[in-house]
Amino acid sequence: MVSPQQHHDHVYDLKLLSVGPGHVTGSDVVHDLTGLDLAMKLHYLKAVYLFSSHAAEGLTIMNMKEPMFCWCNDYFMTCGRIKRSEPSGRPYIKCNDCGIRVVEGVCDKTLDEWIEMEDGSRWNLLVYHRVIGPELSFSPLVYLQVTWFKCGGISLGISWAHLLGDAFSVSDFVNNWGRCMATLKANGSPTVAPRSQTTVPKPQPLSAKQVNHVGDLWVIANNCKMETFSFNLTTQHLSNLIWRSIAKFREGFEPQVVTVCRKDPNHDNNILGNTQVIRSIKADFSVVESDLNKLASLIAGDQNQGRDERNMIEASVEKDNGLTDYIIYGSNLTFVNLVNAGLYEMELKGKKPRFAYYSIQGVGDEGAVLVLPGPPPQGSTVIMAADEAIW
Amino acid sequence: MPPTLPDFSNSVNLKYVKLGYHYLVDHFLTLTLTPVMIGIVVEIVRLGPDELLNMWNSVHFDLIQLLCSSFLLVFIATVYFMSKPRCIYLVDYACYKPPVTCRVPFATFMEHSRLILSNNPKSVEFQMRILERSGLGEETCLPPAIHYIPPKPTMEAARGEAEVVIFSAMDSLFEKTGLKPKDIDILIVNCSLFSPTPSLSAMVINKYKLRSNIKSFNLSGMGCSAGLISIDLARDLLQVHPNSNAVVVSTEIITPNYYQGKERAMLLPNCLFRMGGAAILLSNRRSERRRAKYRLVHVVRTHKGADDKAYRCVFEEEDREGKVGINLSKDLMAIAGEALKSNITTIGPLVLPGSEQLLFLLTLIGRKIFNPKWKPYIPDFKMAFEHFCIHAGGRAVIDELQKNLQLSAEHVEASRMTLHRFGNTSSSSLWYEMNYIESKGRMKKGDRVWQIAFGSGFKCNSAVWKCNRTIKTPTGGPWDDCIDRYPVHIPEVVKL
Repeated sequence: MVSPQQHHDHVYDLKLLSVGPGHVTGSDVVHDLTGLDLAMKLHYLKAVYLFSSHAAEGLTIMNMKEPMFCWCNDYFMTCGRIKRSEPSGRPYIKCNDCGIRVVEGVCDKTLDEWIEMEDGSRWNLLVYHRVIGPELSFSPLVYLQVTWFKCGGISLGISWAHLLGDAFSVSDFVNNWGRCMATLKANGSPTVAPRSQTTVPKPQPLSAKQVNHVGDLWVIANNCKMETFSFNLTTQHLSNLIWRSIAKFREGFEPQVVTVCRKDPNHDNNILGNTQVIRSIKADFSVVESDLNKLASLIAGDQNQGRDERNMIEASVEKDNGLTDYIIYGSNLTFVNLVNAGLYEMELKGKKPRFAYYSIQGVGDEGAVLVLPGPPPQGSTVIMAADEAIW
Repeated sequence: MPPTLPDFSNSVNLKYVKLGYHYLVDHFLTLTLTPVMIGIVVEIVRLGPDELLNMWNSVHFDLIQLLCSSFLLVFIATVYFMSKPRCIYLVDYACYKPPVTCRVPFATFMEHSRLILSNNPKSVEFQMRILERSGLGEETCLPPAIHYIPPKPTMEAARGEAEVVIFSAMDSLFEKTGLKPKDIDILIVNCSLFSPTPSLSAMVINKYKLRSNIKSFNLSGMGCSAGLISIDLARDLLQVHPNSNAVVVSTEIITPNYYQGKERAMLLPNCLFRMGGAAILLSNRRSERRRAKYRLVHVVRTHKGADDKAYRCVFEEEDREGKVGINLSKDLMAIAGEALKSNITTIGPLVLPGSEQLLFLLTLIGRKIFNPKWKPYIPDFKMAFEHFCIHAGGRAVIDELQKNLQLSAEHVEASRMTLHRFGNTSSSSLWYEMNYIESKGRMKKGDRVWQIAFGSGFKCNSAVWKCNRTIKTPTGGPWDDCIDRYPVHIPEVVKL
């Protein structure tokens, strides 16, 4: 139930509704979840796109709804709900057209004021988020919040269950909506990521960690309070700086293994699924002492560094048919490179977003760093344990 | 050919006996008059022209007698033609097609229900069971205000829905018939549960700038049978006003009437009622004779309001928490059956062929005089009508009528499929059903259609139409884009 927000909250007057596909998907359509999808089920992606008042001129919720229905025709799997198959209990998505949850809100600040605010947790006000569960079949997988600012600008806040796809899929999803808004025509269904064959037993992945059974409430139990920070720095060296600082801080417990996630170079622009490359990289020298450049070369773009663990994760999950619960982000210190995710490709009335921000909800204790692209200076989001906040 | 078995030959014989009986009684007049006519003609031919001329001259007519007789004839003819009721034509009609943005799949309805009634799992469970067995499909529509969690039924939203539904239907009607707004002489709008001031008919007059001397009426509170009440009113008005056009708009506005409480008997309408509306053009102009789709033959209205149980069976009231909703009583089906019987008793003699009426009369006499245990004879209405449009009030209503009138699955197909595709759109559902039959290409010239509607009060109203010209497909109606998918099989219980 929605209760009216108190007025000292900057975003208030929230109204909830559902938007689903315009066409009937069919009565027995299901979307199977791969091992990789299931490994990501405790993570959620949050994305915020800010548009200036020029781009948002004349937009109302009614004229945003019609393209949404046509967009949901293509992305009908995002409109479904989780069910467990009998008798294995393996989760899958039943495409029953239930819809994505759309939330309308109003903000009492202008866009400029909002961007200048210091509080890193303010982005949560622009993204309506609920975890999946305890009732799996009544939990939406995607939430979309449209917030109107005092100056006439708007923000689009998406909360996305990571089991549907990675940040690159979310970016495609949003860009496709922009195209639907412009042309009122669908672009064709996204290709669902291919399911890999994992019959050969593989070694345990370093990037995935088993956690205690979460049952039907898909949320990570952290041992410490996590906080989100975002700030701007110019280069990839940012990641290295962080790695070094953390290593210094955790003296004696240097994180020698990090997970790096980046876009699959073979990635088609219209794929829905968890296709990002997940590499675990071992630093077999003391991180604290080493050269910045050496660290950078480890993380940068060197394809041969570390090992691509996607198949291993898939195999681990499939071993017991998806019954074990895993986390990827935060099982080791994780870096996610979203620089080429196309975050600024969405257009509203031909105008690009003023600002795009991505974050992850549900990160393990080791923390995660997301490197985001433009506008210059380059931005980044850091999610760390609160007591490790060194800035 | 091998000799036929005894019981097979018996049943075949019985079939022929029945056919023979019906033919004999229905064409009784023709069968008796034809030999008489033949006899006269033979006699005339036998007499020859000269004899006839002699017979004619022998009858002395003087001028006065001749003038009086011809005057009498002319007088009788004039009285006959003047007192004959005007022919009422249905030129065309248009049904509102809701946009896909208003679509409510089962899963969405149930999820919203759980969130709104989060403290009443039993009520949610009840709604789920109703929905599973309702006979509705996944494409029915609710207005935008009801899509919110919780629904936001403001008066502005209700007016918005009324404007969208009524104006779309009217625009479609103008386009189909070429009618000019200035040519509308009579306007009747019926919407049971939303009655603002100024009325919905005033809203239509304002939007289309209709004439200042228009005869406008707004019927509210009359339930799902109000559509046929409006047709009856239009017919009476068209008897009084010559050379006129009447537009009837039938709709039900859902926005202000969505029940927000938890009483189970009142949650039922939420599961069944959906957006819909229709605009119909009736005329008594002779120029419309060629292009009109139907001619109105009979309208029969039956009101059981004198009986207290019937009066209370569909009752709008406040629940214990003060939330307003429509309470449906448990004996709704029984009362509907009674109302139908009353209506059939009146309409039977008007439409049934002589053979069926005779059988019914004989059985009635037999039951009264000889043996009350004889089964009452249910006249076979399939002999009187080619098509049936039963108000899609709910699956139970259609099942009940199918059983009572002994109709086949094809006869009730229009009603079931309308319930599946559009839900219960109240007074306009009969028009969606009519359009279904037309879209399937089944409506031929001379076909008779029986529209039956039930409504609060408790009322049972019937209208009989005769098809004036074979109707070609596609009809430009709400079924155009989906008629190929129908009929669909509707399971007893849908797995949600």
